[in-house]
Formats: sequence, C-alpha cells, structure tokens
Amino acid sequence: MALRYEYTVETEDLAKYYKMGAYIVKALDGVNVKIRRGEYVSIMGPSGAGKTTLFNMIGGLDRPTRGRVYIDEVDISKLDAYELAWLRARKIGYVFQTFNLIPVLTAIENVMLPMIFAGVRREERIRKARELLERVGLGDRLYHRPTELSGGQQQRVAIARALANDPAIILADEPTGNLDLQTGLEIINLLRQLNKEKMVTVVTATHDLKMIDVSDRIIYLRDGRVERIETRAEIAVEAEEA
Amino acid sequence: MAQSVEIGEIRLPVAEAFRISLENIRRRFTRVAITTASVTLGIAFFVSLMMMASFQAAAGGAGIQPYMYWLLFISLLVCGVGITNSMLIAVAERYKEIGTYKCLGALDRHILEMFLMEALLVGGIGGLTGYLVGLVAALVYAIANPGVGIANAVRAMISGNPSIPLGNLMPASVALFALGVGIAVLLSLIATLYPAYYAAKLNPAEALRYEI
Ligand SMILES: Nc1ncnc2c1ncn2[C@@H]1O[C@H](COP(=O)(O)OP(=O)(O)OP(=O)(O)O)[C@@H](O)[C@H]1O
Ligand SMILES: [Mg+2]
Repeated sequence: MALRYEYTVETEDLAKYYKMGAYIVKALDGVNVKIRRGEYVSIMGPSGAGKTTLFNMIGGLDRPTRGRVYIDEVDISKLDAYELAWLRARKIGYVFQTFNLIPVLTAIENVMLPMIFAGVRREERIRKARELLERVGLGDRLYHRPTELSGGQQQRVAIARALANDPAIILADEPTGNLDLQTGLEIINLLRQLNKEKMVTVVTATHDLKMIDVSDRIIYLRDGRVERIETRAEIAVEAEEA
Repeated sequence: MAQSVEIGEIRLPVAEAFRISLENIRRRFTRVAITTASVTLGIAFFVSLMMMASFQAAAGGAGIQPYMYWLLFISLLVCGVGITNSMLIAVAERYKEIGTYKCLGALDRHILEMFLMEALLVGGIGGLTGYLVGLVAALVYAIANPGVGIANAVRAMISGNPSIPLGNLMPASVALFALGVGIAVLLSLIATLYPAYYAAKLNPAEALRYEI
C-alpha cells in the first residue's frame, strides 16, 4: 500500500519557535528535507540542535510555527485530532531514548496496544505481537513486564511495538542513548535489518558517530537548520541490491 | 501534492480500557489503596452515622437530625478534594505514559476514559469497604451501648426508615448500602473529572519531555 509514495517524509520551510518570555528560541528554523521510502536516515547534531523538535513535528506530536510536513504525501497540518491519532497509530512507529513502555503491561500487551487502537481483531493482535517479539529475539519474554527486562530488551519490545501496525516510518529519537555501546550497536543493527526486511523508512537521531555507519544518509542539524547532508552512496546501493 | 488520506477507525473498546485500568490498580497498589482509603473513610462515616441514629430511633431516642446531613456533606466534600488531589498526582506520575499512549494512537477521550474507569473501580471498592466498616462500627456502638442494644440495632436494620433516602422503599441497611456505594462511585467520578480532563488535554510532545 505504501508502495505508491516516493517520499515518506517531506518538510517545507519547517520552523518551530518557542517563546521564553521576551526571548524566542528557534528550535527549528526553515528545515527542508525529503526522505525516501525505505531509506535509513540519521539526524546528527549537538544537544539543542533541534533533533527532538524535528521528530515531534514529523511525528505529528506538535504543531509547527511555520512550514509544512508531509507524511506519505499528506499534509499533516491539515489533519484534525482524530486523523492525527490515526496517523500516529497506523503510519508512524515511535522509539524513545527512555523506551517508554507502559509499565503495568507485559511485553506482548505493550506490542498489542497500537493494534487495539487500530481496531485489529484480538486473535490477529496476539499472533502479530508474538511474531514481532520473536523477530526481535524476545520470544521467551512475552509475559514479562518492563521492570523485569533489561534496557536492551525493553528497547526491543519498543521496536516491536513501533512495527505493530506496519507503519510507513519509524522515528527513533536517540534509541541507544540509555544503552551501553554493545547493546546500542545491536539495537541499531536490528533497526537496520528491519528497515531492509520490511521496507520501513527509519529516521534516528543520535550524537554518537559510531551509530551512523548503517545510515543511507546523514542529516546534520545545527541551531535548528540543516547544516549539510551526507549520502552514503555505497551503502545505499548495497541496500538496493539486498 | 496528493491529499488522498483514507482515515480509518481509531478505537479503545471498553473491555480493553477496563483491563488497562485494572492493571493500573493492581500494579500501583499503594497509591490506589490510599485513594480508596479516603473513599472508605468518607462512606464509613456516612453509613455509621446514619445507622447509629436509626438504632437510637429504634431504642426510642432522637434519630436522624438535619445537622447530620451538613456534617455528611462536609465530610464527603473533604473526601472528594482528597481524591482530586490524589488523582492529580497520579496524572503527574504518568505524564510520559500519557504521551506514549497518544503516540500509539490514543484519542483524548481514551485517556479520559482510562482515568474515569479507574475512578469507577476506586469508588466501587471504596464504597463497598466503607459500607462494611461503617456497619461494623455501628454494630459495635450498639453492643457497647446498653441504652441501644443489638436487638434494636437489628430491628432498625431490617425495617424501612423514611428519614433515610430510599428508606421507605427497602430495609434501612439495604438503602444505606445502595446509597453508600452510589455516593462513593459518583463522588470518585466527579472528583476525577478535572484530573482526567487535564491528562486528556496534555500535548503529547510536552508530556514526553517530562522526566519521570
Ligand atoms: N517546550 C519547549 N519550550 C522551550 N524551549 C524548548 C522546548 N522544547 C525544546 N526547546 C528548545 O529548543 C531547542 C532544541 O531542542 P531539542 O530538544 O529539539 O534539541 P535536541 O537536538 O533534541 O537536543 P538533545 O540532543 O539534547 O536531545 C533547545 O534550545 C531547547 O531548549
Ligand atoms: Mg533530543
């Protein structure tokens, strides 16, 4: 279904200003990016560069001060609250630095949650959640609660949950920020594999240079603007052939 | 740009909201227990006061006085403010969780429903335990007080009492049960309305920024 769209994400002159008393913080200031379907893009930039703000805009979690965001060629500023909720449930999968699993629910219940909102039948929810958790290597942890899982395992559950409704895009804001190097690399590699396997677009933010080897493109953000974009042509070609 | 959105349905079946609320209550037991205790105390006061007065009436005493309704009104008000306070803390604890639910597709009204469902359960359980505590307190009072005695107490409980609301339709003890649980549920729902509305209206980006 998503095959129709060339670009999963497109921003036009995207800006977000925060008023802090008399002072205005320009968290984003005229960002134009186009992210192709199936691409793996890393957003790099120092703390305060506007990475999280960009994710919030692309993810339909906050309204921009100026400019537009298109997800699968739909201008999301035109969507009402109901349509936005649908977009978040069906089109976008979120992965956070702090994992953000629902603490009172088990791993499989967490993965089923987006499918409940999307109206998927119960048997299908269970089947799909089980399959996804097995795919991320947690087939033996279905009924564990977040407190009974390690950080890396929690992030795997979060990735499975992000994939529950076959989204067009996964937005991962510093997904390795709370993990040690080895576990972080495993998570990045998992995201990369799933990106190829499911043709899901992945956008991750990071300030860790070691994490960007897998990217097709790297967008460098500074002071709310795109500083430069680096293309990993060789990796992109590899991805195409795979 | 093409604008061909086929927006589908977004839903949270009541059974699922109920299950999530039940898990919230089970896993966050201490905080919920404290909120419930507040309901229990309020209802226990209501039930025991009414019962003691009706026992006295059965023993030839004064019975229910108008000022008692004032006392009850104030005590339930205090109880309601306690619930609101406790629910506001519950919302603050769960900022990030609320933001996450919204990321997964929850509508404002789903967040509202989850909190109100919790309030319903807290109110129901608090009403039930409050009735039992109030009943025991009133019976202890009857036994300890030779001027009243258990015989009068039992007679007052099984017969109707027109000075208690619903008391002309059913035995006083049943009327007080219905009133106790009913008031508890209503009180809990009303007291949670503002915190639940506040939670539902949270901007997801803001809610997610919040650290624990
Ligand atoms: N809600 C807000 N109110 C005021 N200022 C904000 C708000 N959110 C972000 N900012 C400001 O906008 C700028 C960009 O913040 P943002 O969180 O997007 O940075 P970031 O690149 O994600 O940084 P980090 O790597 O530390 O997560 C910062 O200067 C920040 O202080
Ligand atoms: Mg950030």
